[in-house]
Amino acid sequence: MTVGIDPLNPAVSAVPLARSRRRLSPRTGGALLTVGAPLLLFVLLAIAWQWAAATFKSVLPPMQDVIADIAGRPEFYLENLAVTLQAALLGFVIGVAVALLLASAIVHFRFLRAAIMPVALLLNVTPIVAIAPALVVAFGFNQIPHVIVAALSAFFPTLINSITGLRAVDPQALEVFDAMSASKTEIFFRLRVPSSLPYLFAGARLSVTAAVIGAVVSEFTGSSKGIGAVIVMATTYLNLPQMWAAIFFSALTTLALLGLVGLLERLIVRW
Amino acid sequence: MSVSSGATSSAGIELSRVGRTYTRGKKTVEALTGVDLTIQEGEFITLFGPSGCGKSTLLRLIAGLDTQTTGEISIFGSTPREASARKDIAWIPQSSALLPWLDIEANASLSSVINTRADRSGATTRRPEAAVGILEEVGLGDFRSSRPDQLSGGMRQRASIARGFAQGAPLMLMDEPFSALDELTRDTLRIRLLELWEHHRKTIVFVTHSAMEAVLLSDRVVVMSPRPGRIRQVVDIDLPRPRTWELTETPEFTAKVAQVKQILWSAWEGDE
Repeated sequence: MTVGIDPLNPAVSAVPLARSRRRLSPRTGGALLTVGAPLLLFVLLAIAWQWAAATFKSVLPPMQDVIADIAGRPEFYLENLAVTLQAALLGFVIGVAVALLLASAIVHFRFLRAAIMPVALLLNVTPIVAIAPALVVAFGFNQIPHVIVAALSAFFPTLINSITGLRAVDPQALEVFDAMSASKTEIFFRLRVPSSLPYLFAGARLSVTAAVIGAVVSEFTGSSKGIGAVIVMATTYLNLPQMWAAIFFSALTTLALLGLVGLLERLIVRW
Repeated sequence: MSVSSGATSSAGIELSRVGRTYTRGKKTVEALTGVDLTIQEGEFITLFGPSGCGKSTLLRLIAGLDTQTTGEISIFGSTPREASARKDIAWIPQSSALLPWLDIEANASLSSVINTRADRSGATTRRPEAAVGILEEVGLGDFRSSRPDQLSGGMRQRASIARGFAQGAPLMLMDEPFSALDELTRDTLRIRLLELWEHHRKTIVFVTHSAMEAVLLSDRVVVMSPRPGRIRQVVDIDLPRPRTWELTETPEFTAKVAQVKQILWSAWEGDE
């Protein structure tokens, strides 16, 4: 027994834990490490690149050629980027929206889960980008096939993550709701949806990357515009600077979209 | 200030021949058998026993979170599910189970946004209390707008208890709410809970595996034993109220704790 200790002493329990998610400002050594180390690697990689470009002329273009190509006709790249971005974003929104609707239905109805999951898994093992030519045959030379491929690519990661998230509720919190006879709708919107948000954003990050890849690769066939088409064009004319400029832009796009999803996550998921 | 248990006899909670068996494949496990118990309105009763004695199962049956295989349970004259539909049961789980995306005040007032049709129908007998007042009572007045992850484990548990009391339900069920906390925090919260109960006088059924906690808090201790889970004996704790920490240092208190433990030990020896 804890004789001699006053259990009502507020000092024992009234101290909040200062558990802030924000990191402390890094010390000089830390800053040097987080900025300096990758910078060093970048420089080394750049040197290796330039050496390879000089040695194997048909493999890599010198960096200055890539930069000169972009600087010489930025509107060409931006126009094509806009086309790809449109397909990727539209596909992302459609894929994620359908995945969210299905996930919400699946967690409520076991029949739907049994019916949908095998089809979704089959879709996941199908190389979706390989469907692109078939879609071009079906829908013609326009944006529709690329939007569909981007949507199909974005669909699965969000579906799986949102199902996991919607089911990953704290069982004891669920008991609190159940003891008050909360309705299914109340449990869904006040418990399941907020609980699932971290999972949802993890899914969205995978989906946004998949959507850009889907759009770019889909443009390899049946397209005269977009980053994918620019890459194919460059291959035909053995234009290495153009090819690498296009690759650079698609990577940059994915990075920017990932940043956007991350920003949204930090604004919404604050716990 | 009220003295001793002395609850007036009224339609409280009645359990008769309550049993619960689980079937796993071909095996049948008897988790609970032949439970007869009457709990008076306004009484603080503790279910005490080792792991596997069915005390949590019994609490879940009273809450309507699970259904008994045999027997009857009456909560103020209705079934557990009916009482739950009226929001007349507050459940306080082992972990604080606060919602991390809501601040402490929103967490404590959760009952005001859940099952609102019960409030609209006017069937409920609960008297909801302002979450702010209860938070002040448990010493969290200054942390109303904090998020759960900014508080210590003990503070989160206090917020969870505040959520239960703010619901204003006549029956509160607590499933080992202090078991995950350190000894000092536990002692503090035991006294806080006693103060809250003195003030609000709810019927509380409290599950614990600490004999000391059971004796300190309750009017009666229900000693349970496992295989199959059943009631061994119900011990009256006729120690004066309101109870303070000083009580734990008296010989009467120590004797009661020893008596409760002795019942459990003799039950075990009887089994072997």
